Amino acid sequence: MKKLISIVLTVALSAFAFAGCSASGAEGESGSGSDFRVGAIYINSQNDTSGYTYAHHKGITEAMTAAGLDPATDLSIVDNVPEDAEQVTAACDQLAGEGCDIIFGISFGYIDAMEAAAAEYPDIIFSHATGYKSNSTNFNNYFGRIYQARYLAGIAAGYKSLALGNNEIGYVSAWGTEYAETCSGINAFALGCQSVNPDAHVNVYEIYTWGDQDLERQAAETLIDTFGCCVIAQHCDSAQPQIVANEKGVFGCGYNSDMTAEAPDAHLCAPIWNWSAYYQTAIEAAMSDPSAFMSTVGNYYEGINSGLVAVSELSANNEPAAQEAIDIATDLMKTGAWDVFSGTALSFTGDAGSVAVTENAADLLDSDGNVIVAAGGASVEDGVIQGSMNYYVAGVTQVNAAEG
Amino acid sequence: MSEYHLVRRGDFSYKRVIICYAIGILVSLGIGALLLIGLGINPIEYYGRMLSIGLIGNRYAYKCIEGLLKVFVPLLITSLALGLAFKMRFWNIGGEGEFLIGSICAAIVAFNSNGMPKILTIILMCLAAALSAGIVGLAVAALKVKFNTNETLMTLMFNYIMLYLIRYLGNTKAGWNFFLNPESERPIFGQFEENCKMGGIKIGCFTLLYSVIAAVMITIIIYIYLKYTKQGYEISVVGDSSATARYAGMRVGRIILRTMFISAALIGLAAGLATSTAGTISESITNNVGWTGVIVAWLAKLSVPGIFITSLLISVLQYGCQAAATQYPSIDSNFADLLQGIILFSVLAADFAATFKIVKKEGPKND
Amino acid sequence: MQAAIELKGISKSFGSVAANKNIDLTVGKGEILALLGENGSGKTTLMNMLSGIYMPDSGSIFIDGKKVKINSPQAAGKLGIGMVHQHFKLVERFTALDNIRIGMGKEAGVFFKSGYTRKYVMEIAERFGFNIDPDKYVYNMSVSEKQTLEILKVLCYGAKIVILDEPTAVLTVQEIERLFEVLFKMRSEGHSVIIITHKLNEVMEVSDRVAVLRHGEYVGSVETKKTSEKELTELMVGHKIDLNISRPMIEKTQPLLEIRDLTVKSDEGNVAVDGMNFYIRGGEILGVAGIAGSGQKELCEAIAGLRPIVKGQMIHDGESIVGMSPKKISKHGISMSFIPEDRLGMGLAPSLSITDNMILKSYNDSKGIFVDRKDARIEAAETIEKLAISAPSTETPVRRLSGGNVQKVLLGREIKSGPNVLITAYPVRGLDINSSYMIYDILNEQKQKGVGILFVGEDLDVMLALCDKIMVMCHGKLQGVVNGNNATKEDIGLMMTGALNIVNKEGKTDGIAKDSIIKDGKEEESV
Repeated sequence: MKKLISIVLTVALSAFAFAGCSASGAEGESGSGSDFRVGAIYINSQNDTSGYTYAHHKGITEAMTAAGLDPATDLSIVDNVPEDAEQVTAACDQLAGEGCDIIFGISFGYIDAMEAAAAEYPDIIFSHATGYKSNSTNFNNYFGRIYQARYLAGIAAGYKSLALGNNEIGYVSAWGTEYAETCSGINAFALGCQSVNPDAHVNVYEIYTWGDQDLERQAAETLIDTFGCCVIAQHCDSAQPQIVANEKGVFGCGYNSDMTAEAPDAHLCAPIWNWSAYYQTAIEAAMSDPSAFMSTVGNYYEGINSGLVAVSELSANNEPAAQEAIDIATDLMKTGAWDVFSGTALSFTGDAGSVAVTENAADLLDSDGNVIVAAGGASVEDGVIQGSMNYYVAGVTQVNAAEG
Repeated sequence: MSEYHLVRRGDFSYKRVIICYAIGILVSLGIGALLLIGLGINPIEYYGRMLSIGLIGNRYAYKCIEGLLKVFVPLLITSLALGLAFKMRFWNIGGEGEFLIGSICAAIVAFNSNGMPKILTIILMCLAAALSAGIVGLAVAALKVKFNTNETLMTLMFNYIMLYLIRYLGNTKAGWNFFLNPESERPIFGQFEENCKMGGIKIGCFTLLYSVIAAVMITIIIYIYLKYTKQGYEISVVGDSSATARYAGMRVGRIILRTMFISAALIGLAAGLATSTAGTISESITNNVGWTGVIVAWLAKLSVPGIFITSLLISVLQYGCQAAATQYPSIDSNFADLLQGIILFSVLAADFAATFKIVKKEGPKND
Repeated sequence: MQAAIELKGISKSFGSVAANKNIDLTVGKGEILALLGENGSGKTTLMNMLSGIYMPDSGSIFIDGKKVKINSPQAAGKLGIGMVHQHFKLVERFTALDNIRIGMGKEAGVFFKSGYTRKYVMEIAERFGFNIDPDKYVYNMSVSEKQTLEILKVLCYGAKIVILDEPTAVLTVQEIERLFEVLFKMRSEGHSVIIITHKLNEVMEVSDRVAVLRHGEYVGSVETKKTSEKELTELMVGHKIDLNISRPMIEKTQPLLEIRDLTVKSDEGNVAVDGMNFYIRGGEILGVAGIAGSGQKELCEAIAGLRPIVKGQMIHDGESIVGMSPKKISKHGISMSFIPEDRLGMGLAPSLSITDNMILKSYNDSKGIFVDRKDARIEAAETIEKLAISAPSTETPVRRLSGGNVQKVLLGREIKSGPNVLITAYPVRGLDINSSYMIYDILNEQKQKGVGILFVGEDLDVMLALCDKIMVMCHGKLQGVVNGNNATKEDIGLMMTGALNIVNKEGKTDGIAKDSIIKDGKEEESV
């Protein structure tokens, strides 16, 4: 019996081995009539109704529709792939085998396996979110300057604190200075607050996980009850901090999606991602000339200007002057005339209808008083890609002690 | 008042087993088909892709086979190892933990191998993996023999200890933590150097990894070990009746220690091979073989050829479900898992139906 | 007196063995009936049919004059029959009250109306004079407390007929007295009690009437007041039946195995064998008679080296075997085939083939790492032929064989190793007549070869016919040794129940050989 099986197996193996060599197998049928095929590797399921994978899946399908592709037939997905090189490699092989022309991987831990797959399949473009690796032909990374959107949300929060006469602002954060991604977001938000209310003080409560509804709720409650915060911003998965703010009659800035529905009396605005902005660029570039992908798209790190990041529509809870100030700051960032982490601080004055901005050259200081950028200096990178921003700016305090 | 109860069938017939299994599988596929139709997918097409493990229309068909074998090898060796312990009625359900400690120890060798020759490095990795897991198995067996502790609980809890250990290693950036990639600001496991990665025989584009050859050899060795050696004979006797074994003058404690060491060491070896094949470690490197292996061993009734076939079929099922799900954007891996679950459940039900029958409890024959 | 239960023509067979044959039995209301009989006389089977565990093959059961069908323990409960088993069925981690409550079902209410149940249980406890703490956890209870709880439990479930299977076996004298008081209280409340016991003195003390079973048949019943222990013993063991088993007489050798002052403990830590003396000569069959659980198992295991001894000497062929491994003892020439209750527990590996079972003790004799099955297969085939074992092939798993064939395989293997002392325990248990005779022939054949045989048996008629001498045990103590050709069953029966002890009679001490090599408690240097 066993002998038979091993013979059959050997024959089958060698047959497939040679058959597969030509790499010319029939490609999947496409409903749109296009031969172009998109592959995606997700950390969760595409059938999620919120969260990180949901946001990316929405972006990819919107971008495909805009590019004339049909997500129902031209998209292959391997979902629930953990950050495990072997499983990511298997997913890449699978998607490559199905004839995908561009493969997106959305989680940081896919980095090494995708780099290796890019070398193995030179005809396919591999595009990796949140990473830092790339090559010169078919492997790039992409992410966005979400700190710019956070600065804008900070403006709205600053106006609210000024109006309430309370300088204490809370921030529920997954991590603190350990990750440049969270750290830069906190700093940008604080600078945004300070552009309106120079005395604004941001209290950071770190929950040490990307998402835990109970911890998020507890953190927001502590910030409000113990530290008397009047606005609660957040960098974590659920809407719990906003819901707590709503319950306790204070205000808040959400994240990832417009949370006004969850906290109708509290929510001001939220920094949000529009991933389709990148996916459309990437898919269209790959469709027109894949060999030039690295020169047309390259490593992608865009902000407000590309539409990849934005603040959600301001709710009725905002101070009347907020919208004007946000528009002014948006224009400054869009034109590239100014950026958040520079030696120039913005300062908004005036009431609704007559908001004015002044640009003051000033040292950008960290919370220990060290100079990060000298007065008038150019903006430093937020360091999300390189991971170099690991300090808080002046006016930020972490209220719960660092673990360990 | 009539009641029904279960009776073990006295006889055994291959025909009945085959019929029961066929019905079970057909029923499960039928349920799956209904779900698929509900999702607007042609079930025949879907099953075709599933059973052909995504080979049809694949540009790199050989990759499917390679991928399948990467799933198959650890599952096969782990199931054999678990079968060995189960044959002795030692409930080693610590496959996950033993696999993980093997994997970690293999990685310790790999990250400190500094350009050692490839063959030597890989052998050392496998040795470290097998030895570390084996020692764990030995410890559990020793506690059982000495203090009559419950091995099910011990091995079960050990799984979680190892899971949290590897999670800790993967999340803690520190100078001593050589497991992590030093380039990355975020904690992420490092990649092995080329000298730690499993090689293979090239057949055209296809690479037959040496680990596959090792797995087949291990299967044959275990088959011979259990069937023809004195130690294998002792395992059968101890498993059948430890009172008889003691009566026959066997040193039951020593046999338990030895067998459990071999069982755990084999799982460690599977981990060593898998780690070298993956070229890195991760929390999910076990691919759940510690659990799936239990199902395989039981479905195969602990027979070695049976375990070979069953683990191959389960690998095809796992890989095929995943492959088919990839092609339909609306099907996610949760559905693939659900389908796998339905099929496995039906097979177990079929096995039950083949072993037991339901009879009506008869009343007394009164005159 | 009005009948609570009436059994008419009840029969039950297990395979070819008839456990109960056409039994008629009546229990009156407010009566304590003692059910008496040797081991294997069918008492427990009969009671299991009353409590719904077994179903009779034929016959009828009447409760309060109505014909009923008892096909489950639940059905028995509904009819007011409750059984207290030898092995308690209690949840260790629950309190007394909770143990009662879990079986109450609907009566206790969906939410276990705690107060109601407590009141109800305590009322019943008081009525029957139970001394019980309802909140004590079972794992904290003594054996007697557990038994009290078991009885209270069946009373709380509404039992009018209570069956107690050997309730006194595990109790001290004072506890037995207390139990009897409870039974008398139950009687005065109009309950019927059936008590299974071996102990004649207790039967005399507690019962109103005694029903006797012998070999699965109902012998009759007598009023306790009008009988004596002697009459009951006679009823129980019956008159001697000539079984026509041959007893060849051959010349006996010196004692091959001498046991002196042997004390062994059971798994539970009780003294199971208490200062036993005996010896076996070559060419004789020494029977061991006794009520089950009198220490036979522990005695056999001690000799085979499977159980450590507390004290005593065991001399085989002039050498002490105390502390030797089972393997060494086996090599020394002592072979044991022990047939436990489940027939397959010890001595055989049921899933393995006949061949594999043949080599159980000798597999390690060959060189190398592989098991040599070539010779074993030939030996298995020889044994199958010689002992007329009916098996499809040498590779058939032992589990698939019938009981008689299983026993032949076991005995065949033991004989094959050529021992000079053969210990067999219950070798004909569960066998039909023909298979039994086959086993007797095998034993006689060995005896004629000069092997000394220890035969632990159950059936006194068989032992009287087959054994040269019979030693009787009671509670781990030797009660005396009698000759097979002139002993009476009545004497043996009295010795088994502890009523007669003839160890020190007519100036000699049973169990110590005249030509013993053990002098003054000390072993003489081997000759």
